Amino acid sequence: MMYKRPLVTVVDDDESVRESLPDLLKELGYAVEAFSSAEAFLASDCIGQTRCLVLDIAMPGMTGPELQRELNNRRHAIPIVFITARKDENVRPQMLDRGAVECLFKPFSEKALMDALNSALTLN
Amino acid sequence: MKTNTAPKELDQHVAQRTTELAAANEALKREIAERRLMEEKLRLEEKELKRSEARMAAIMDSALDCIVTIDHEGRITDFNPAAERTFGYPSGEVVGRLLADVIIPPALRMKHLEGLSRYLATGESRMLGKRLEMTAVRADGSEFPVELAITRIPLDGPPSFTGYLRDITERKRSEEDLRRSEEYLTEAQKLSLTGSFGWNVSTDEHFWSDETFRIFEYEISARVTVQMILNRVHPQDVALVRQSIARAANGEHLDYECRLLMPGGSVKYIHIVGHGTRDQEGRLEYIGAVQDVTHRRLSEQALGAVRSELARVARFTSLGALTASIAHEVNQPLSGIITNASTCLRMLAADPPNVDGARETARRTIRDGNRASEVITRLRTLFSKRDSTAESVDLNEATSEVIALSMSDLQRARITLRQELADELPPVTGDRVQIQQVILNLMLNACDAMSSVDDRPRELVIATQADGENRVRLKVRDTGVGLQPDGADKLFEAFYTTKNNGMGIGLFVSRSIIESHHGRLWASPNDGPGATFSFSIPSGFAGVTGAHKPGAVRAPCEAQEQRIGRIA
Repeated sequence: MMYKRPLVTVVDDDESVRESLPDLLKELGYAVEAFSSAEAFLASDCIGQTRCLVLDIAMPGMTGPELQRELNNRRHAIPIVFITARKDENVRPQMLDRGAVECLFKPFSEKALMDALNSALTLN
Repeated sequence: MKTNTAPKELDQHVAQRTTELAAANEALKREIAERRLMEEKLRLEEKELKRSEARMAAIMDSALDCIVTIDHEGRITDFNPAAERTFGYPSGEVVGRLLADVIIPPALRMKHLEGLSRYLATGESRMLGKRLEMTAVRADGSEFPVELAITRIPLDGPPSFTGYLRDITERKRSEEDLRRSEEYLTEAQKLSLTGSFGWNVSTDEHFWSDETFRIFEYEISARVTVQMILNRVHPQDVALVRQSIARAANGEHLDYECRLLMPGGSVKYIHIVGHGTRDQEGRLEYIGAVQDVTHRRLSEQALGAVRSELARVARFTSLGALTASIAHEVNQPLSGIITNASTCLRMLAADPPNVDGARETARRTIRDGNRASEVITRLRTLFSKRDSTAESVDLNEATSEVIALSMSDLQRARITLRQELADELPPVTGDRVQIQQVILNLMLNACDAMSSVDDRPRELVIATQADGENRVRLKVRDTGVGLQPDGADKLFEAFYTTKNNGMGIGLFVSRSIIESHHGRLWASPNDGPGATFSFSIPSGFAGVTGAHKPGAVRAPCEAQEQRIGRIA
């Protein structure tokens, strides 16, 4: 499937995020796909078209950072915006060090999300 | 005229002779009588002598000591049965022989003979009239120690002597055993750094072993007084030791620790155990041991510091984990709420407004709001899992159990405890374990409040009493830092703490438990230093009811932390 607008893919095990975030992203003008696990995303055919990955850090099964490593191994350089409900100030610099575009703590504002997506998409 | 005179002369002559003869006869009679008297006297003396000799012989025969007499040449004249037994010679074999050859070991013979001849020549003796110890030799050549006393027999003519000898092998062995056992004891005391002491309470005499002197660093010859002991006791422990001495004077069993402050400024930790005994006259004598446990205590302190640091870290960690998990649980739905609200605003701001979409996002906002609320409810449910039990609780008994568990902690913290538990306290109905948690909590708080107190005794008083007609009250009074003027109200708030290692929920939980027992928990300042925490709960059958269970405070704080920690 081809997307007319830049595809932002959301991977989060939390249902309320999967329900709410895609609608907002659509309002912001993006095409959106949502997955409840890293494994489901890897099995899909949107890897190649995803322009930005909004990725939860802590998930059952493969975690966000593990997915990031897996994508690097597969030579898929997708810009990643990490999101997490665990507010730990040490986490953000770690994630940025590993090449993430941004790391947002839930709940995050619309503005913070937009800024992060803009940064991510300028990298493409 | 010769014939005329002759008969007259004869008569005279006859008369004269007759007189002479009569006188001689008289003298003879007198002499005979005197002689008889003499003979009688002699006979009596002889009898007396024989009796004396028999007595003497009986004494010599039955004496337990060896009795040996010698003449001026040093030859044996008497050798009694005890001597026969001891030296292994029959009397007949040795009488007439030189004493030196018979019972004196070859090495000492010359000395013996020299001494004897010196005495005969000068009258000077080093041995007469003294009690001496020397070595003697038996018939079989074996040598053994004897005690010896020599006297000169007081008779005219050449001097003769009596020697009294006693085999002291047994005594020597006992002395040696005693000396060795004392040596062992001394060595053991030195090695184990344990001294012993005795105190005759009525005469105030103290008996210390060398090691006790060493521990207290006094001259071993010093005369011990109670003041001397107190002079060495660490100023902060003087009250404790004074109290202990008073208890010892009553014969109470003691087992406690205190510190000594030595003149050089070093601190020793000593462990004292002792108990009272009565001597034969029924006077109290206190006997005990004092052990220098400085090394052990310092190691324990180091270990304790590590342990409490670990506990502090663990508490912070679990508190951190608790906060993080609550945050995580709540942040998820919050995230949804904000995102949905943002979407909703955008949809309404569009031209034309996407009302259906906005309605849907608003609905989802409400649902996420409910989810957040559910998280909170779930947290509360987790804490209310344990149901409290209602049983009849003897507050004194419950208190004593807590005290028994805390005794070593109190001792380590150098806190003296006074219990004033009222007699015939009516039972309360409630949850025994919860009430004990409150008592323990109040005790620990009191201990913490006194941990920095060094200028006065650290004294903890736990008292129970009837409070009006149908309530009982428990008080925990300390001599600690007291209440902060502005902090008194905050004391019972959750997460309020003045301690760097406290979570600040102890008193909060305690008050909740007491309130669930229809009781009241409060703090008040003392007249002197410190504070008193009291609770009062109804006695009789008025215990916990379901309606009064405050869900969030069921469990003890430690368990609570663990449960909360598991949410993540």
